[in-house]
Amino acid sequence: MTPTAPELLNGCVAALSTPPSAEEAGAFATGKVAIAAMLDALAAQECATGSAARVWENAAIRAVLADAAARYHTAAEDLGDGDYSLAALDSANAELRRRLIRLHEAVEAAHDTTLDRRILALYREMAAHRMLHLPGQG
Amino acid sequence: MSAGAMTAPLAEGLAAYLSGLWNGPTTIEGLSRIPGGASRETYTFDAVAADGRRRGLILRRDPTSSLIDTDRRTEFLAYQSFHGHVPVPEPVVLEMSSEPLERPFFIMGRVDGGAASSPFAPDPYAPHAEMLGRELFSILGRIAAADPLALPIADAFEAPAPQECWRRELDYWEAVILRDERHPQPIVRAALRRLRANPPPPAQKLSVVHGDFRSGNFLHDGQGHVLAVLDWEMAHIGDPLEDLAWCLDPLWSHFEDGRAAATLPVDEAIGVWKAESGLEVDPKAFAWWRLFNSVKGQGIWTTSGKTFVEGGGLDLVLGFSAVYTARRHDQILADQLERLVAEEAWA
Repeated sequence: MTPTAPELLNGCVAALSTPPSAEEAGAFATGKVAIAAMLDALAAQECATGSAARVWENAAIRAVLADAAARYHTAAEDLGDGDYSLAALDSANAELRRRLIRLHEAVEAAHDTTLDRRILALYREMAAHRMLHLPGQG
Repeated sequence: MSAGAMTAPLAEGLAAYLSGLWNGPTTIEGLSRIPGGASRETYTFDAVAADGRRRGLILRRDPTSSLIDTDRRTEFLAYQSFHGHVPVPEPVVLEMSSEPLERPFFIMGRVDGGAASSPFAPDPYAPHAEMLGRELFSILGRIAAADPLALPIADAFEAPAPQECWRRELDYWEAVILRDERHPQPIVRAALRRLRANPPPPAQKLSVVHGDFRSGNFLHDGQGHVLAVLDWEMAHIGDPLEDLAWCLDPLWSHFEDGRAAATLPVDEAIGVWKAESGLEVDPKAFAWWRLFNSVKGQGIWTTSGKTFVEGGGLDLVLGFSAVYTARRHDQILADQLERLVAEEAWA
């Protein structure tokens, strides 16, 4: 998991609260402020879309696991999203991803082309849902 | 506290060190840390001898935390290997002891009059992008053409067998990912399995691999010329296609996938590299190294995320790498995997 929004924002607070040494007071300090601003923008996007991305991903993985259950003995109905806090969603997501990895290994071993391609397409969609954009990138 | 007093420990240590090295009193002026360079602390300064001679220098000191595990000796030997052959800063001195400046370091000549572009800036080399690209990929071709065993950097490495280059790199980065992963990463795990199931042919020759040759890691003059190739800390001996594939990774394309590092069209860049190196680009091998490099990138960002969190978030470059570039590379990996399986019949 990439750092969470709280970890990013707390990092910015810590870094900006630390007085620079004299040799860090010029270009380095300017660069630090610029990257803190960029991280703030990324954290803002994560706050706006992170929960929805996790709810979507968890549901999508559950669907693949459910559809594969008969052949691969996968299950996911025991894994709910809890109170929908980021921590609860991430906890469920971690276990769902572990089961997805195991399923994909089994699918590859079975040369199950159809399900392999469905999982690869799911990866593309997962990455797209999680993507953040730099300020000005649109 | 005055700025001069705050500067004193590092500047005084440098002055004492260089005075001893050059057998004469040396003073330090304009010591200032430079942003970027997440694997080393980088400082610019002037060293002034008693007779007034002034020399612009760069100090690269080991960090307290880093994106990657690197050896400052490797980077220094790389500069020694290529100084005079391709544009790199002049290596001055390597100090492995922590005594003079608290951590090991090396010093190299400063290359003035140029800038390194942000790898995420749109179209950073216009209007001289194509001229710059021809120079950039020609330099990469010259690095690939050199005999690594005849260069100082050979002292740092045991040369792999040509058929083992891919396995050595994959083993290393897989171990990094498994060691530093904070959350299950199904996309990179799938890529690791696919890379093992579809190995490339042996390297056509052994070369020095820069390891991070890409947009953002060289100085250019704004007029289409490369002034210095920097950041050799991941250099090693291996398959020359590794560097070419890393430089062409979509992460470094400045959001223009058809252009190599925002310079030349990709096919033209490969053509320049082939002409300069005298080497071929086997499509099967190149596809493997392209996927591998996206995995390697994910290894670097995985470590940066772990280090960022464990370090209390103080190094914001690590945080940026872990949150933005990691997600870009997941997207790049997923796209490649889908295409390789659908179009290239990867098992």
